[in-house]
Amino acid sequence: MIELVNLSKKYKQVDAVKNLNMFIEKGEIVGLLGPNGAGKSTAISMLSSLVEPTSGDVRFENNSILKNPSPLRKVVGMVPQEIALYTDLTAEENLEFFGRIYKLSGKALKRKMDEVLEQIGLTDRRKDIVKKFSGGMKRRLNIGVAMLHDPEMIIMDEPTVGIDPQSRNYILETVKRLNEERQMTVLYTSHYMEEVEFLCDRIYIMDKGNLIASGTKGEIKQILSSEKTISIKLDRLNDQFVEGLRENPLVNRVTVGEKEVTILVPREANMFSDVIKIAEAAELEIYSVDNKTPTLEDVFLHLTGRALRD
Amino acid sequence: MIWKIIKKQALLFLRNPQQLVLLIALPMILIMILGTALGSVMNGEGSPINLKLAFIENDDEQEQVERFLTDLAEKLPPEAVTDIEATISNMMPVDLLKKSLDNKEVDDFIQVSYFDPSEREALRKEESYTAIIEIPEQFTYKVLEAMFLGNIEPPELQVTYNEEEQVGTSVLTSFLTQFQTQLTKGNFLGENGIDLSSIQIDESIIEGELIAVNEKNPITSSAYYTVGMVVMNVLFIAGAIGYYAFHEKEIKVFNRIIIADVSRWVYFISILLSGTIFAFIQSMLIFTFSRIVFGIIWPNLFSFLVVTLAFSFAVGGLAVLLTALNYRVNSETITNFFMNISVTLLAVLGGSFYPIGDYLPLIQTIGNMTPNGASLTAYVTLLRGDGIAAIDSQLIYLVLFGIVMVIIAGLCFPKRGVSA
Repeated sequence: MIELVNLSKKYKQVDAVKNLNMFIEKGEIVGLLGPNGAGKSTAISMLSSLVEPTSGDVRFENNSILKNPSPLRKVVGMVPQEIALYTDLTAEENLEFFGRIYKLSGKALKRKMDEVLEQIGLTDRRKDIVKKFSGGMKRRLNIGVAMLHDPEMIIMDEPTVGIDPQSRNYILETVKRLNEERQMTVLYTSHYMEEVEFLCDRIYIMDKGNLIASGTKGEIKQILSSEKTISIKLDRLNDQFVEGLRENPLVNRVTVGEKEVTILVPREANMFSDVIKIAEAAELEIYSVDNKTPTLEDVFLHLTGRALRD
Repeated sequence: MIWKIIKKQALLFLRNPQQLVLLIALPMILIMILGTALGSVMNGEGSPINLKLAFIENDDEQEQVERFLTDLAEKLPPEAVTDIEATISNMMPVDLLKKSLDNKEVDDFIQVSYFDPSEREALRKEESYTAIIEIPEQFTYKVLEAMFLGNIEPPELQVTYNEEEQVGTSVLTSFLTQFQTQLTKGNFLGENGIDLSSIQIDESIIEGELIAVNEKNPITSSAYYTVGMVVMNVLFIAGAIGYYAFHEKEIKVFNRIIIADVSRWVYFISILLSGTIFAFIQSMLIFTFSRIVFGIIWPNLFSFLVVTLAFSFAVGGLAVLLTALNYRVNSETITNFFMNISVTLLAVLGGSFYPIGDYLPLIQTIGNMTPNGASLTAYVTLLRGDGIAAIDSQLIYLVLFGIVMVIIAGLCFPKRGVSA
């Protein structure tokens, strides 16, 4: 459906996106993962024809959109990271305005507004001024506006930033439902690993403007197939324990939490006795030692040496 | 589509009462305050008004009087002619006018210089005079003929006003109106057979009041400040629309509009029309207020509407330029600078607070190059009773100003959406 070919964007001396290649097939949910500043928003701005790339091409149904973005724009709905709404207007007035922008009118517009309000659970609040809404309600309306014209594809740029868990779940469920019931194609960017894991069929991971990994969830986790993570919970932590782990030749990486240490070791390694010895030497009490299968967070950590939310 | 964006803008204004107060109520309050506080100055009471007048006389008055008396002897009995001859020295209109203008009581603010008719064109080009008063040929003869024989209309003085000195010309107009009344009164008495030889024109009435000729209306301070505040405050519409447009960019509503495959030019035109329409509505609301509260009536409604439309278009041009510049530099600094500093500066130069240009010709010239200053001049000219022909240069300027703003804005406006 959409293909990004060697796409780059340079702002003055900063390479926001470097030679990005990706594709999105009809009906799939694709995740674009990366920390803040990774280049995700620039990438989707180029993909949605808002920003002209410095080099490369964006192809929709095998045609470049750089000179003629109209065919793509007609079938795409955009949910920006910002609350792109008029907060002094009511939910209904916002939907009506954006509906008319999408050339809907009369009964068709009214029917669509009712339908969207139902989908985002704001039918009862349709006459209320948006600035009186909670963060979650604004986010839902932000999504609703992008669904007014029945797009084939929806691009969501971190749509759950700053909202409560209940609203977040509601949004994730709504996205899943849109994909399953209407076969809507979704490009979902986030730095919340669990959202991407929950929603997406395929994932692209970006960091500092580069694409550092791509594939299905399974394929990406295969990057860490030869390793496993062990989580150690203790009564407290000290430097001697951490240094002891780092000096162990089997330990590839040590990540230190508040009262927890995570180590990355070869899949076949049995670290239990080593961990006990290091803890005893450091005079610490171990509460638990867990073997874990790697998460996307672990993959990102493995690839960049940094946590996603650093 | 354009209409929807304009309608949305109207809703945003209506949902923001604080802004409505600033745009509508504040100028009304300012009109009341300034109109009252500066009314005495504006109306010429104790003001530092300085009328510099050029006086041109085409014929010798004494010679005309003598000829009139000779001709009169053929039409009236000798006794009547003798009576008239005895009092006519007090009824010589040019002499009366000169005495009034040279009177010591008005010495402080009226300076009269006398010139030969051959210097007329040079004087007109010079523009340093508030007005040029020219006594046409046979003026005194015809005035006396109208007074004593009543068979013709009294002649009119020829006065060329300097349009840039609004207060001065207003005072002079009022002055001349009184003089004209005296002449007309004499004519009326003559026509009705009342013995004019027993009546003398009361010089005390004429003194310090003077003359009128082209029947121009004097302008009250309330009228002046209505215009001044309208042309100043309407500029804020451009700033407000620029602010809203930049906010749309910041929260990515503009991107949403572009992704909906709406041409950026549709958005651009919507901003231009929003600026024009809301500037027009704001002007009309304040003018309606001044009509109800101060009774300010426009002598020529059509011309008034044309000026308001031209000025509104110029403001629309400013709105779209501010929007484009904000988008270009990705900051609302330009709008803030415009709202906080430029509007005040333009208002001072344009004469919204005081007709400063009447005393500083350079400021007047600069002021007329501002959209508000040009509009103020056009409005004041209309209020004084002139027609649309007298303000053609201001109208052309306002429309050109709007067009230039639109062209610059078009060149600055972003090609696509706005960066991530």
